[in-house]
Amino acid sequence: MKAGVALPLGLALLTLGACTPKTDQAAASAAAKPAAAAFDAKDFSGTWERYPQSTENSGQDPTVVPRPEPIPPPPLKPEFKTAWEAEQKKIDAANKAGEPIATGYTHCIPDGMPAMMMAMFPMEVLQTQRQTTIIQEAYNQVRRIYLNDTLPAVEDAEPGFWGHSTGKWEGNDFVVETIGIKDNVRFRNAPHSAAMRIHERMRVIDANHFEDDVTVEDPDYLTGPWKWKWVYQRRPNYKMYEYVCEDNREYADPVTGKARMRMDKKK
Amino acid sequence: MRYRVLWALVLSAVSGIAAAHHSFAMFDSDHQIRLTGKVEEFTWQNPHIYIHLQAKNAKGKLADWVIECANPGILNRAGWKFNMIKKGDQLTVVVAPLRTGEPGALLKQVKLADGRIFGNGGPAGPPNISIEDGKPLAAGAKP
Repeated sequence: MKAGVALPLGLALLTLGACTPKTDQAAASAAAKPAAAAFDAKDFSGTWERYPQSTENSGQDPTVVPRPEPIPPPPLKPEFKTAWEAEQKKIDAANKAGEPIATGYTHCIPDGMPAMMMAMFPMEVLQTQRQTTIIQEAYNQVRRIYLNDTLPAVEDAEPGFWGHSTGKWEGNDFVVETIGIKDNVRFRNAPHSAAMRIHERMRVIDANHFEDDVTVEDPDYLTGPWKWKWVYQRRPNYKMYEYVCEDNREYADPVTGKARMRMDKKK
Repeated sequence: MRYRVLWALVLSAVSGIAAAHHSFAMFDSDHQIRLTGKVEEFTWQNPHIYIHLQAKNAKGKLADWVIECANPGILNRAGWKFNMIKKGDQLTVVVAPLRTGEPGALLKQVKLADGRIFGNGGPAGPPNISIEDGKPLAAGAKP
């Protein structure tokens, strides 16, 4: 029942395929082990959600494709690693004490790159000849990846939350490079410089999943590449909701920086 | 039994929730409470939906509770509707109260006047007491 509502389209198609009468031996064998649904290896368009979902009862089958490995900590240079580890310990301790430290979300600040691609909520991919556009439902985030574009020099790249991205096809891999991320836009609280480059290699792995191999390079802050993979599952026919961070009753205590909650009614 | 079936339906509809925005550590999920009262205000907005509920506290004194819910995206996907709660409605809720003792809380489950029961999406976590009588739910039991 739990899996029934959000049964992946591929499984549904496979089920239908298995019900089709077969006559010859090959077909009978195929019916016993249905062939994967056909897919266009260059079609990322549609609505997606992260796979596997972190919550139980998500409706996903977490065994359909291999789950990605946990994201490793950033390989920060020693002079930055100590401060980063101390910050992580402070955050953990505050959570354990029941007094979480306010974050950018408390102030309605969106993820930016690369955190946007963790797909906190569903995301939509639109492909046109000129660009691939990715919309993340949380905070109405939009990133535009221009095809075969020339990125500006790092020193000329105006910093932003989603930066400047160019994409090109290498076979069936969509290879994306991003620069120009603002200093205060952090993923996992890792500091970075203007020289940070985010490389992504996206590929459709079956009719209902695509993966994004992410590599972050930053000669100023990292000892080497910081790599991880995200996987997404199609959410067919999903219509994205709008998201304006209108009024958060959680706020940062101006003295302690801890998250608090306003008790008044709507402003 | 009817409510368990409804709850199963709600759970089965919850999808697309990848991660919580933030820590819920300010709320005490280990010591959940059950409140019944009248809706003073219901705001359907991001980043959180809020229910203002006038309800009695443990000492029997009326208080204005501010109850944090997930956001419209999560709760639409969980089967909620923007107009299913209105000012003046009588609700019963199971919540995780603020650790500060203030009358604020994180919603775990809500029972509407018509008997329908809804959860608050995956990241907020399940109730650990019954919305019917406030008694502890057995570990692992479906609420």
